[in-house]
Amino acid sequence: MFGERQRFMLLLIAPAAAALVFFQVVPILTGANASFRDWSLHDPQMTWVGLKHYIYVLTDPGFVWTVMPNTIFFMVVSVACSLVSGLALALLLNRNFPGRAVVQTILLLPLMVAPVVAAIMIRWMFNDQFGIVNAVLEAFGLPGQPWLAQRATAFSVILIADIWLWTPWFALLLLAGLQSLPREPFEAAAIDGASRWRVFRYLTVPMLRPVMVVCIVIRAIDAFRTFDIVWTISAGGPARSTELFSIYAYIEAFQAMNFARGSAAAMIGAAVIVVLAIIIFRVLNRWSEVSK
Amino acid sequence: MTSSERLAAPLDVVAPPRKGFFAALAPGGGKMLFALVVAGTAFLFAFPVLWLLLTALRPASGVFYVHRGTEFTLHNFVEVLQQESVFHAFVNSFAIATFATILSLGVTVTSGYMLSRFRGPVPSGWFAIIYVLRCVPYISWVLPLFFVTRQLGIFDSYWGLLLPHVAVHVCFFSWIMKGFFDGIDPSMEYAALIDGCTRWGAFFRVAMPAAVPGLTALAILCWLYTWNEFLFALMLTSHKTPILTVVMAQFVHELGMEWHLMSATAILALIPALIVTIFGQKYVIKGLRV
Repeated sequence: MFGERQRFMLLLIAPAAAALVFFQVVPILTGANASFRDWSLHDPQMTWVGLKHYIYVLTDPGFVWTVMPNTIFFMVVSVACSLVSGLALALLLNRNFPGRAVVQTILLLPLMVAPVVAAIMIRWMFNDQFGIVNAVLEAFGLPGQPWLAQRATAFSVILIADIWLWTPWFALLLLAGLQSLPREPFEAAAIDGASRWRVFRYLTVPMLRPVMVVCIVIRAIDAFRTFDIVWTISAGGPARSTELFSIYAYIEAFQAMNFARGSAAAMIGAAVIVVLAIIIFRVLNRWSEVSK
Repeated sequence: MTSSERLAAPLDVVAPPRKGFFAALAPGGGKMLFALVVAGTAFLFAFPVLWLLLTALRPASGVFYVHRGTEFTLHNFVEVLQQESVFHAFVNSFAIATFATILSLGVTVTSGYMLSRFRGPVPSGWFAIIYVLRCVPYISWVLPLFFVTRQLGIFDSYWGLLLPHVAVHVCFFSWIMKGFFDGIDPSMEYAALIDGCTRWGAFFRVAMPAAVPGLTALAILCWLYTWNEFLFALMLTSHKTPILTVVMAQFVHELGMEWHLMSATAILALIPALIVTIFGQKYVIKGLRV
């Protein structure tokens, strides 16, 4: 039925496809199926209700006016900040200075700590009574903040934790990218007496674009579906004001015990990110093509 | 070393290096500032971990005021090591991280090779599938995944955690592997095919060895990721197969607020990750040069 070439291609992807079908496609379809039914966790009726849950989620003002803007804002700020600081660290580590190896290991620490432990620790550091952050602020005579009890500060703490966690990842990939760049253009620029800023602006950034595109796309998708650090730090609080859409789906599914509604919310989120991811991919691809 | 530094000597003749603001203000000040910035950044990045270490060294009574008091103890480490579940969790996490790395790489290296070497509807279809599946949030399939592992009878076992981990890695790793193989000239494989090698032979004997640096880099990142993964471990394991991250989180959820024990376990869990990173970072940076 298939040619020898086709058989070889299919065999190459067969194990990966099998893993995907059993442990990703089947569960996703189960969830998608559930989202069209009356399926609460304590009383699964499993009767078909059509788009009821989708309509509920899409007309829930909390979802439309808080959760979705939160998620998009979180994605943009987190990716932008960790990209910029990751690039700064990569440029730093690309230089030669005494103790570079030690500094590099220290900067990679966030990759080594379990994110859940780091998030617990950061929540503890920002605790309004016992936390070190308030202790330091008060030592300088500044008023301590109830960090996790206000929307803006709680959101900032989450963002700080996320940026801390992901900057080393960006730094690592961008450092690898920097070290694979050809030397000749930089030597030519040095001979022409180009300033550091111009070398960075007109050589380093354009030549790093392909690596940056891959990093941004992968990280943007992951940031959009962030769950564990938000759940550990604020659990969506105060008063559900820092919820991202995966927190919303989790709360609907496991605290309100309405698995179907949670699944519907997750499906809507998945649809949004698929569309966003395709747009990001297209736009960034064009951006990196232009530079060639 | 940047190229401008390397070329400094011959360039002196052509254009004298410009003196920066700080160099003019205070000779050597630029270097001092640089060192300060580096030290400050490193401190900021290390701070949560330092705090973890400090908490781990405090007695149970001292954890609420970590920044005051001067009592330090190593007793916390002894206490967690005596707990059987912590020890089991260490063994389990180590086994899961290692096997998940081997399996994921084994499965994705062929898939990435396919994406890189072939054109047509099959590769582009496969790429579209993994790209879309990568976007689906964990939250929408982790609960059904629990039902699936139950059905297959592998819930709370090694396989029940390993195989979902492999499925997670398929999308991302296939994409990265494609990049590795894109960077390897396929003409060697064509030569091998002309000399009578089978397609599999060309893959295993020619393409695979050339991709080893990339594979090493991914292996290290994959091991670290699985060692620290939390959500799947929480949902897909129970008392029979305790996993380290879950055990640590439970210290401050279910069994009261035992910050000192959580921190001590976290510091112990950091040691293997630290060893892997210290010896592996060189290979990661080398291997990820696409």
